[in-house]
Amino acid sequence: MSGQRVLVSGMGSELGSLVAVKLEAEPWVGSLVGIDSDPPRRRLRKAEFHLLAPAQRERIVEVVTAFNPHVLINISVWEPDARAGLRDARTFTADAAMAIFGAAAECPALESVVVRSGIEVYGRGRGTPTRPDETAPLHPTSEFGKMLAGVEHQSAVLAGRAGLALGTLRLAPVLGKHVPSPLGRLLRQPVVPYSALADSPFAVVQDGDAANAFVTAAARRLNEPLNVVAPGAITTLQAALRGRRVPLPLFGPGWGLAGRLSNLFGAPIPDHVIEVMHRGRLADGARAVDVLGCAPANSTPQVIDHLYAWESIVRIGSIDQAVA
Amino acid sequence: MAVYAVDDYGRDPHLVAALSPLARLRWNVSVTGAGNIPGTAALLVCNSRRFSLGAVYAALALSDTTGRTVRFVGRPDTAPLGPLMRRVGALLAHPADVLSALRDGDLVMVSAAGTAHARQAGAVPHELVGQAVIAQVPVLPVTTINSRFGRAAHVVVGPVVTARRKRSGPLAHVELAERVQHQLQRMLDNDGAVDVDVEGDVEDDLAVEDDV
Repeated sequence: MSGQRVLVSGMGSELGSLVAVKLEAEPWVGSLVGIDSDPPRRRLRKAEFHLLAPAQRERIVEVVTAFNPHVLINISVWEPDARAGLRDARTFTADAAMAIFGAAAECPALESVVVRSGIEVYGRGRGTPTRPDETAPLHPTSEFGKMLAGVEHQSAVLAGRAGLALGTLRLAPVLGKHVPSPLGRLLRQPVVPYSALADSPFAVVQDGDAANAFVTAAARRLNEPLNVVAPGAITTLQAALRGRRVPLPLFGPGWGLAGRLSNLFGAPIPDHVIEVMHRGRLADGARAVDVLGCAPANSTPQVIDHLYAWESIVRIGSIDQAVA
Repeated sequence: MAVYAVDDYGRDPHLVAALSPLARLRWNVSVTGAGNIPGTAALLVCNSRRFSLGAVYAALALSDTTGRTVRFVGRPDTAPLGPLMRRVGALLAHPADVLSALRDGDLVMVSAAGTAHARQAGAVPHELVGQAVIAQVPVLPVTTINSRFGRAAHVVVGPVVTARRKRSGPLAHVELAERVQHQLQRMLDNDGAVDVDVEGDVEDDLAVEDDV
């Protein structure tokens, strides 16, 4: 299987560039091309990168069809209030999915598609399972969940028409020291609001573990949806206490005010994060461990600890000597 | 630092440990038959008198006795009671929740329908018992008897109950639920004892076995 051509859509994101770095080290990857509207956040040695906005559909189609990949990894998903506001996130995600999947349908060599989704697609309506597995019905109850369900639908249509293997990775909220995440940003504020009446548990996944799942799914030609979730769970109050933040208990009307204040301080709270705090967000990740053969290395409490182990000042003492 | 965390279902073991002494103030529970509980996952089905919280004290007592996590089914999905009960190990009465916990190797306590009389076993929910069939784990009856106002409570774990006939369809779930209810009623009729043969055909009729 050596010499495979792999296309990564969304290579500029933290997760996408991490996936690219890991793919460069894979012996089965012959050539690697990436597309994103932001440049990669890591140094890539083999990958060829194209800086393209999601709206540049014709140019994206040119790049993708000229490369004619064997494997497509789509990470072009904009979480609301992570890198863009809700309206832009919705537009960028829809445009990117249309351009990438449309172009992929024109590639005769394409064999496998791996898509980034999230456990937000299960929704948190009343009476829904506490830890849905991959067989649970999709009833997204947040804007982000609906966006992800839309991406899943488009990829399923593509895979069905072209007879491709389709692996869908439904990630728990991805956190990492440098991952732009509204949940991570909120938890790192000096004062962390939490639901006084519910304080429901949620699970997350480390960016490195999520990247490993993408690489393994691509290598194994995954052909089913999988939940990628770190073991264990934590509540917002517990996370704030672990990070030595000041927890702020809130009741119904207090959330509106807290949301506006948090937005002013640079940490907007989108509806899917509010849903996490009120209703929790867990999922059963056992199937992913069985199929991919690798469990997330970090538990949810460990991911939260890493999130807080973030130095505000990074001292690089050797720069002057190196320049000199 | 490890203090601030919950398990995969939101159960807080430290909160449970803190609440156990309070539970012991309310109920003085004696447990019999804990040796019947296998080392693997199992579904425990208990009788329930209305408003008695039998499943709660039975789960806490069995958790103390066995040293394992015993989850019980029946939390509401609304705040603040639902999240609070989740912290002490409650699951939704949703087949997916029960199946998931059983597949994770846990002990799960399900209540029969509540009855007006302490010695009457209500209908056993076959859609929840059926998850034990799907997960291929044993089902054990558990009787809970307590004084309405006093502290004394008694929990008896019976031996594994199996279906009389092998079925491949949904009848397996329904028939197993009926047999568990039957076994619960017999245990309640005999003060929780499982070795007293009232009608002379307990061994033959109940098909008590060591595996599913």
